[in-house]
Amino acid sequence: MLNEEKVILMTQMASYEENEGKKNMAIGRYFRSDYIAVQVLKSILCATIAFAVCFALFIFYDFETFMQDIYKIDLIGFASNVLLYYGVTVVVYGAASYLICSIRYAKAKKSLKCYYNNLKKLNSIYNE
Amino acid sequence: MTALLELRENLKKIYSRNEAFILPVVKFLLSFLVLSTINGRLGYMTKLDNMAIVLIVSLMCSFLPTGFVTFFAMVFSLMHMYALSLETAAVGLVVFLLLYLLFLRFTSKEALVVVLTPILCMLKIPYVMPVAMGLIGTPASCVSVGCGVVVYYLIQTVINNAATINSMGAEEATAKLRLLIDGMLGNKEMLVTIAAFAITVIVVYLIRRMSMDHSWTIAMIAGVMIEVLMLLVGDLMYDTNLSIVSALLGAVVTVLACKIIEFFRFCLDYSRTEKVQFEDDEYYYYVKAVPKMTVAAPTNTVKKINTQRRRVGQNTRPAGQGSRTAGQTSRSAGRTAEGAARSVVTERTSARNGAPYGQQDGYRGREMSGGRSVTISGEHRNGQEDSDDYEELF
Repeated sequence: MLNEEKVILMTQMASYEENEGKKNMAIGRYFRSDYIAVQVLKSILCATIAFAVCFALFIFYDFETFMQDIYKIDLIGFASNVLLYYGVTVVVYGAASYLICSIRYAKAKKSLKCYYNNLKKLNSIYNE
Repeated sequence: MTALLELRENLKKIYSRNEAFILPVVKFLLSFLVLSTINGRLGYMTKLDNMAIVLIVSLMCSFLPTGFVTFFAMVFSLMHMYALSLETAAVGLVVFLLLYLLFLRFTSKEALVVVLTPILCMLKIPYVMPVAMGLIGTPASCVSVGCGVVVYYLIQTVINNAATINSMGAEEATAKLRLLIDGMLGNKEMLVTIAAFAITVIVVYLIRRMSMDHSWTIAMIAGVMIEVLMLLVGDLMYDTNLSIVSALLGAVVTVLACKIIEFFRFCLDYSRTEKVQFEDDEYYYYVKAVPKMTVAAPTNTVKKINTQRRRVGQNTRPAGQGSRTAGQTSRSAGRTAEGAARSVVTERTSARNGAPYGQQDGYRGREMSGGRSVTISGEHRNGQEDSDDYEELF
């Protein structure tokens, strides 16, 4: 005999596992601090690449003047300015990533909590 | 209104049955539109400006995940820019890379918005996207809409400077680079548009989430007004040469398009709102319930009216076989000792296979001649017939 309640529950859970659940389970496998650390590191890497690309474009924008004046400009001052802008970019982008990943982790955990409650319900149906 | 609701339910039914076919067709049409528009606007690489290539790539996009439409749109744009000049392609690549690394990592689900926003801007209906994303998205959608605006203005800058770039020689690489970067960074119209669209998305989202009646309609009208107002302010401040007539026309088209989205997504009947209060152990609840406007999609019911009459004592169980079309027939058949026996034969939409009803011992089927046949049953005398009816239903 088919237990309708069990079939409905299992169908909902299977559908969740196929779609939204995949991403949430991938997030839920980590501890909060580990997940956020990994994501912030990735963001810092992306911000570094983006900054390098923008810096290259900035150099090429006025390449001839830059090459002519390279011996006149204060290279240490120029480098410290560049590092300051890099630091600000990385900190701002890292902070934004931290916020976004915290919210994502909280949402994923909440969704997984519902899923695990359904698993318990299913287990109790089996044990009846 | 009922007809529209029935149409909506029928469309939903058709989509749910044929989703496996409809989705690839929609993706094919979308990618075809996007790639054709890019070829039409840029078109500097003649090898790529070929219907066969567009059709093949669109066919590929119909079977691949939705993100590939964005990917191929980006590739096509870069290849056209490369055909114009290497520096143009470099600037294009840098812009796409920055958008992906900094923004699209977090809004990858809305990659299609980055493609649709420039397409709608090119079709002169730019206001639809921010209002639509405010209605169906989240405040984070303003990032993807902003990226779409950047892509649009990148393409516009390339188109506007194409003739100048073509006239420059290979030794003027720095000058070409400077021309494009100034065209992008110094573009005040782009900044005003991004700000207007971002604020529109957020305002529309906040208003449509309110519990007041007709919040979606108020949100879309407010969104359109804010957009037009901000663009007018930007036009005054930065002299961006905005056309007021096109802005107003665009606003009307936006409201119409968003009304269609509202009809399919969030159709409520505010006249039947219920407000209730109740409590449990922990909280006291004030609940406002607004029912959705729904109507059951009608199932086709065919009644066959048989005008033929029977003689007394004859088995008058109707056959209904010859004229049974798609359908599960449900009959109430009866035999009376005298007079004509009549049964109503109703055919419903689901097909039923198996032995025709009434094929049993002692049954003499009746052929259905042309025309309509009714058989309206008087009484159910025969218990077996009743059980046949029961069997019929299952």
